[in-house]
Amino acid sequence: MSALVETLAVRKAYGDFVALDDVTLSVAAGETVAIVGPNGAGKTTLVNVLTGLLKPSGGVVRFKGDDIAGIGPVKLAQRGMARAFQLVHIFPALTVGETIAAAVVSQTGRSLHLFASLSRDEALWKKVREVAAIFGLDGKLDAQARLLSQGEKKLLDIASAFALVPEVILLDEPTSGVSSGDKHGIMKTLIDAAGRAGVKAILLVEHDMDLVAEYASRIVALQGGRVLADRAPEAFFADPELIASVIGKRPARRARSEG
Amino acid sequence: MTSFFDVLIGGVFHASVLFLVAAGLQLVFGVQRIVNLACGSFYALGAYFGITAVNWTSAHGAPPWTFLPVLVGAGILLGAIGPFIERLLRTVYKRDEAFQLLLTFALVLMFQDVLRFFWGANPQQLGNLSMSYGKVALGEVSFPTYNVLVMAASLAIAVALGVFLRRTAYGRVLRATAENREMAEALGADVRGIYAIVFTLGTVLGTVGGALVVPTAAASLDMPVELVVEAFAVVVIGGLGSMRGALAGALVVGLTRALAISFYAELEVLAIYVIVIVVLVARPAGLFGKPVE
Amino acid sequence: MSGRPRYAALVAFVVAAIAVLAIFPRVAQPYYVTLVLPAFAYAIALLGFNLLFGTTGLLSFGHALFVAIGAYAAAVMTSKLGIKSFELILVVAGAVAVIAAVPVALLAVRYVRIFFGILTLAFGMLFHSFLFKFYNLTGGDTGIRVLRPTLLGQDWKELDKTAFLIGPFYYACLVLAVVLGFAMWRIVRSPFGLHLAAIRENARKAEYLGVRVRLFRLIAFLISAFYGAIGGAILAVNTGQADPELAYWTHSGELVFMTVLGGFANFFGPLVGAFTFIFLKSELMGATQYWRFFLGATLAVIVIAFPRGLMGLAGDLWKKAVRR
Repeated sequence: MSALVETLAVRKAYGDFVALDDVTLSVAAGETVAIVGPNGAGKTTLVNVLTGLLKPSGGVVRFKGDDIAGIGPVKLAQRGMARAFQLVHIFPALTVGETIAAAVVSQTGRSLHLFASLSRDEALWKKVREVAAIFGLDGKLDAQARLLSQGEKKLLDIASAFALVPEVILLDEPTSGVSSGDKHGIMKTLIDAAGRAGVKAILLVEHDMDLVAEYASRIVALQGGRVLADRAPEAFFADPELIASVIGKRPARRARSEG
Repeated sequence: MTSFFDVLIGGVFHASVLFLVAAGLQLVFGVQRIVNLACGSFYALGAYFGITAVNWTSAHGAPPWTFLPVLVGAGILLGAIGPFIERLLRTVYKRDEAFQLLLTFALVLMFQDVLRFFWGANPQQLGNLSMSYGKVALGEVSFPTYNVLVMAASLAIAVALGVFLRRTAYGRVLRATAENREMAEALGADVRGIYAIVFTLGTVLGTVGGALVVPTAAASLDMPVELVVEAFAVVVIGGLGSMRGALAGALVVGLTRALAISFYAELEVLAIYVIVIVVLVARPAGLFGKPVE
Repeated sequence: MSGRPRYAALVAFVVAAIAVLAIFPRVAQPYYVTLVLPAFAYAIALLGFNLLFGTTGLLSFGHALFVAIGAYAAAVMTSKLGIKSFELILVVAGAVAVIAAVPVALLAVRYVRIFFGILTLAFGMLFHSFLFKFYNLTGGDTGIRVLRPTLLGQDWKELDKTAFLIGPFYYACLVLAVVLGFAMWRIVRSPFGLHLAAIRENARKAEYLGVRVRLFRLIAFLISAFYGAIGGAILAVNTGQADPELAYWTHSGELVFMTVLGGFANFFGPLVGAFTFIFLKSELMGATQYWRFFLGATLAVIVIAFPRGLMGLAGDLWKKAVRR
């Protein structure tokens, strides 16, 4: 199985400070890979390298076989990888519909159509409604993004990333700021949406080990810029020392649903 | 063809005055994030009022040599309008920068007619008073003492500002507010008061600058809008928000202008803008500014 | 996504406005008709300006640069090259402006906010000093004369200056304004326009959605330059003179003023702003020699109390009326 996203011996150093050291991982189609680790372990740096924001000091980072070191967010989106952030990013004055439409316009390559009518583009708005419906936002298409609740803003942020029809999506703490009662609901929505949107692989940065246990097909644990472990959840959670070094406590064991 | 030293002194003199205005701009921008298009208007106000003050004092029997302290005094006195203008600007602090810029532009328009109302449309001058201090000789060359005094004063103010901002407790509070307003507020800084004081200080620097220039240049209604461009060139070259930048930028602009005038008059302001553009391309943050975006 | 009835009302309103403007020369005093010409010019120039400001979020303090380019293009072509065709003048003015805008835009779109404003101001003043100082090329502070152009090949020799301006030229400008206005409407409401709005709202996020931020800002800049030049050409024909003050930064400031007066968040804001400003300025100039003060005070009031301008005010009043 060829890797969709892979890093080979990636290293990122800032002068004397080594943020990432010899990080090798690969993500193949069908996988949901969770990146975990304590704060300062290098998760954000790794994610920035994986999404072409940072050029590694050493090693290779590839997407679909092509080198994507430092290509930047625009080219990344064009190649088929989308990223949703921990801190919610919205277009405050644009409506939900317009926000998703912006992504669809990018994805269909119609952004340089200067004189085409946006409002009469039925195909576009159909797509927008579909994506919105997946995230339960189809009733709010005309609502301005800034007027949404925090949770809805988060959903919108992720929905717009999904509207890019990416092959790989990277979710940076998608449930942060969400009340624990809602977390599983949101994760389930995300995984379902990914499936329906044709996303082939998900990369997930998450602190909540319950969610990781439930939804990840593989867990990559970082510590001090190095890969501590890279294994399936059963193997991961069977190792108490490993869990302790990552988060310091054992999660409540949840029955894993069969994929 | 004027001698090299005349050009040099002319350039440094101009730079000294520009520095004062630019320092005011930098202070206000650094702490309040406001770019004050009306800085030229304050400058012109200082110039006109300075002339009036000197005419008044000499009509009341003051000897010619007092004109320098009178000018400085007039400039400082005008600082009284600072708090009122700041009050007006306060209404748009929370808004987008564009509105702040526009409000200062509104002030430019309004001040044009305020100046016209009080002083009329004709340029005003102070005659040859600047010569009352005589000349200073350095070997074979001599320059007007007045120019040297202004340069010294400007340097002194630069040093004083530096000391104030770096060594005094209040200066530290100012710099903290410039870095992070919310933090400073949370730590107990009276941001409202700080803004009023900073803006007034910025105003005074501008009005004093204008007052100091009148012995050598006429006060005219073109002053407010013409100075803005040079002042902006200074802060862009030096780096927005930086005091050292104000000094460096002022020297660059002052000397460039002086050299350009003496070689090829048409190039005068052109040369300055070209430098602005070159600096922005090579070093977007200017010589001493913080990196942008 | 807006309702059909609202759209129909909008179309009706625009048609009515065009009709009013069309019969205006027949019913109004020539003085007022001559005021509409600069209003047309500024309306067009502002449509371009607001594509940058209202839609893309970039505040240029040097838009007058392109207005001046348009004016001088008209002047050079009619006075120095003997080319009188208005249509050709417009094309050349627009082309020169776009070409000149390329290096400016390439530099300027790397910056945002205040730096963009200062850089554009610097470029505007650069052009101004060039116009002002190089007397032999540009006529220095007196500028260059603009001779009467031909419209559709006709020179309307039988009409005197005013009759020409409030007659055939008026209608030519009206047509221009409608056509260019319609084009801008389409641009703003196109996928490209949506991406510009996304850039304004959150450039970072826009990048992650695959929007080529710098390229699009550049394109918006070029379009705005084109519109600015057309406006400048109309202004120049109207006054018969292209002079350097057109490029001065305070003229750019007035362009911003007009846009904010009308309302920058609304498509029609700049149009309303242009007309209102021209008439307001004319009335003030007639009333007092201190008209700048009152103009400035008006701007201050708008900025402080009515930031969304006249169209914003109209919208609020409409909402209140509808609620009753």
